[in-house]
Amino acid sequence: MDKLLTTGFRRLICYCLLTCGAGCGAAHASADQADTGPAVAAAADLKFVLPEIAQAFERASGRKLRLSFGSSGVFARQILQGAPFELFFSADESYVELLQRAHRTMDAGKLYALGRLVLFIPNGSPIQADRNLGDLAAAARDGRLKHLSIANPEHAPYGRAAREALQRAGVWEALQGKLVLGENVAQAAQFAASGSAQAGILPLALARAPEFAERGAFTTLPENWHAPLRQRMVLMQGAGETAQRFYAYMQTPAVRTILSNHGFALPEP
Amino acid sequence: MATIAAGLSVTLRQRKPVPLECTLDCAPGELLALVGPSGSGKSTVLRCIAGLHRPSQGRVECGRASWLDRERGIALLPQHRRVGMVFQNYSLLPHLSAQDNVALALWQLPPGQRAAQAREWLARVHLHGLERQFPAQLSGGQQQRVALARALARTMTVTDEPAVLLLDEPFSAVDQVTRRKLQQELARLRRELSIPIVLVTHDLDEARMLADRMVLLHHGVSLQSGPPEEVMTRPANAAIAHLVGLGNLFEGIVGGPDANGKLVLEWLGRRLEVARNPGFAQGDKVNWVIPPEGILLHRSDRPSRGEAENPVSGRVVDCVVLGPYTQIMLRPESDQGKLPLTFSVPTHVAQRNRVAVGSVARITLLAQAIHLMRWEDSGRGERR
Amino acid sequence: MDWPALTLSLQLAAATTLLLLPLAILLARPLAWSRFAGKGLVEALVALPLVLPPTVLGFYLLLALGEHSAPGRLYHALTGRTLVFSFDGLLLASLVFNLPFAVQPIQRAFDAIPRGSREAAWCCGLSAWRTLWRVELPLAWPGLLSAIVLTFAHTLGEFGVVLMVGGNIAGETRTVAISIYDRVQSFDESGAAAMSALLVAISFAAIGTLNVLTRRIGRDGHDRV
Repeated sequence: MDKLLTTGFRRLICYCLLTCGAGCGAAHASADQADTGPAVAAAADLKFVLPEIAQAFERASGRKLRLSFGSSGVFARQILQGAPFELFFSADESYVELLQRAHRTMDAGKLYALGRLVLFIPNGSPIQADRNLGDLAAAARDGRLKHLSIANPEHAPYGRAAREALQRAGVWEALQGKLVLGENVAQAAQFAASGSAQAGILPLALARAPEFAERGAFTTLPENWHAPLRQRMVLMQGAGETAQRFYAYMQTPAVRTILSNHGFALPEP
Repeated sequence: MATIAAGLSVTLRQRKPVPLECTLDCAPGELLALVGPSGSGKSTVLRCIAGLHRPSQGRVECGRASWLDRERGIALLPQHRRVGMVFQNYSLLPHLSAQDNVALALWQLPPGQRAAQAREWLARVHLHGLERQFPAQLSGGQQQRVALARALARTMTVTDEPAVLLLDEPFSAVDQVTRRKLQQELARLRRELSIPIVLVTHDLDEARMLADRMVLLHHGVSLQSGPPEEVMTRPANAAIAHLVGLGNLFEGIVGGPDANGKLVLEWLGRRLEVARNPGFAQGDKVNWVIPPEGILLHRSDRPSRGEAENPVSGRVVDCVVLGPYTQIMLRPESDQGKLPLTFSVPTHVAQRNRVAVGSVARITLLAQAIHLMRWEDSGRGERR
Repeated sequence: MDWPALTLSLQLAAATTLLLLPLAILLARPLAWSRFAGKGLVEALVALPLVLPPTVLGFYLLLALGEHSAPGRLYHALTGRTLVFSFDGLLLASLVFNLPFAVQPIQRAFDAIPRGSREAAWCCGLSAWRTLWRVELPLAWPGLLSAIVLTFAHTLGEFGVVLMVGGNIAGETRTVAISIYDRVQSFDESGAAAMSALLVAISFAAIGTLNVLTRRIGRDGHDRV
């Protein structure tokens, strides 16, 4: 061994070789994805229902999926920038139309559910669960309501719907300055459930989930207070067989039942 | 280990960052001292020879090899010149042992040979047994020896390339006792070397001790070169006399030859005999110097023969005991406000002759030691 | 505990460190020892990721690596996939946002090497490359170690840029930090807590090891045992 290398320098070489060994795997990391299933982008309101459906699909077909949840608008933007999702579950069909116009999709997609909004009151909150949102304005005035969480109306369909509902109830102006915007409905739900916000306007599908049950109470808002949440799914260009199979699986009666159980209204098949 | 006889020839000129206007030569086996006060550019000159600094104009040639020639666009990197450099602060690599530091200069050899030769060079500088020590564990003197061994290993191992040994104030960072020892060792070691050696120092005594020839550098200009004794006792002009520390600098007028045909110097009404005439004519105004060694104190109790040469009597104005030597300043008689003569005698001599401030003393100015220079009106013609 | 995410994070950190180290050495050397026009500008550019919000970095990286950019198109031609939202794109982004963490410690370490040491090596006949390998790197090695540890730990913890440039694709760009974010949103607090604790432990171990090793090396550059 060349005597000109000191012990410390030799250690440095070893450290480098270790990181080298670990890093070499990285080059193949991307290549390995082929056998762990297609990437699926799903609106965050499906956070509790879609994994259940995906598990059933896996058991039935032996094929895996990689699910990512987030805001529909964010996913649409990412897909436009080339994100490799093969299947997109949007909470609003306008985003699907956007992608179709940009020639990213295989076709126009299919309606899979109709969404509903609820007013969610976490445990311990002084707000009344009033389906007409009557208490909200009063609470904002007398200081009981410090924060109301909704998803960001700019890119989350449920956030847009929440804004419409609040405007329809005439309380939107009173609530300015008290709104907390979640990046997607799951984050908005987390704000409300943790008690950081005294109330939240959230998807019914999230509020009905068992994980939510003990955390508070909710009341469903009138359907006509917002433009319908027409949730559309679509296969992207170049989607593989697994994605196509899942797309078909979503339309089976079994899945429709699951969706219905979670609070989604179903469109005509 | 003989190397081909290749002399060093250097010409440098630049204005910034350090002004240089320097010419020097060093023959193989010769030790040339580059002397000057701080800031005179000596280290820069050395770095130009080594290739660590590129002057705006100049030439550096060693034997037939042209290391630097700005006009022809040649400027070899330090690694392509065979230069052994001993730095002022040793510049030993702290992560290598003494042996490995020396072996660094032998990197072209196979590993086995490298280690053996490195040990040999360390033994040559009397560091046998310390090969495995790291620089932090060695004293200043030992570190400098390692540095010297490394420089020697670089220059002496290959015999078919011209090489130069450069030392940049190598002994200034060690204590005096160590310095003396190192100087003695260098004096002994260099007898075996047949390459040019350039030593930078601000210490005139060191130059006198070690060098065959010296070059005096001031503000980057090489003022005078020659054997140290010559430069320091026979400076070319008053400015150089200041630089080499000759304090006894006076003005005089050349007189006609005396009865013995010797040249006479008229000074303060006295007629001094001067042994050597560098070419002045009668009536020329000159500056003249006499080194302290050229002044002898007369015995106060009785006169003795041989003290009739250039006698001067005067009053002692200062008498400083500096250990074994006493420095005496004597104001010559009939000297109104002129500057005194400075010389030193062993302290016991001063005591025996009862030299004290205010007392009268007689001295002899040796004719051999008086050196005449062209007169320059620098406003500092006569000084302390 | 999201093991695939952890593996991915470790792979990203290791690959970034491995690739960035030689680049950082190449960049740090002239910054430490040369004077050249625009040196201040280069130093400022290198330091930029330290002060820029990750979203700004992410925004510009999306532009630079996106589908319509030259690198994006080249990558697509070679592999058929997009550079953004892929591990390789994340790796490139990681090289950029880790630049100051790698370059600055190495530059400081090079700066601390006395000029005389390098000059002595040159006068011994060592070429610039040999001097780098035998003299400069051994003497700078605490700085190199610092750069390695900081880059590794910082990559493990990066969130904003990863989210913007990588998205949140399991097995490809879902790092531990993203996974924790995901878990919190899924009300899986125990999962988030477990992964967070693990990240803290890894970072702590990395910094601790760094401190111990650099103290043992001392200022001389060789081991004090």
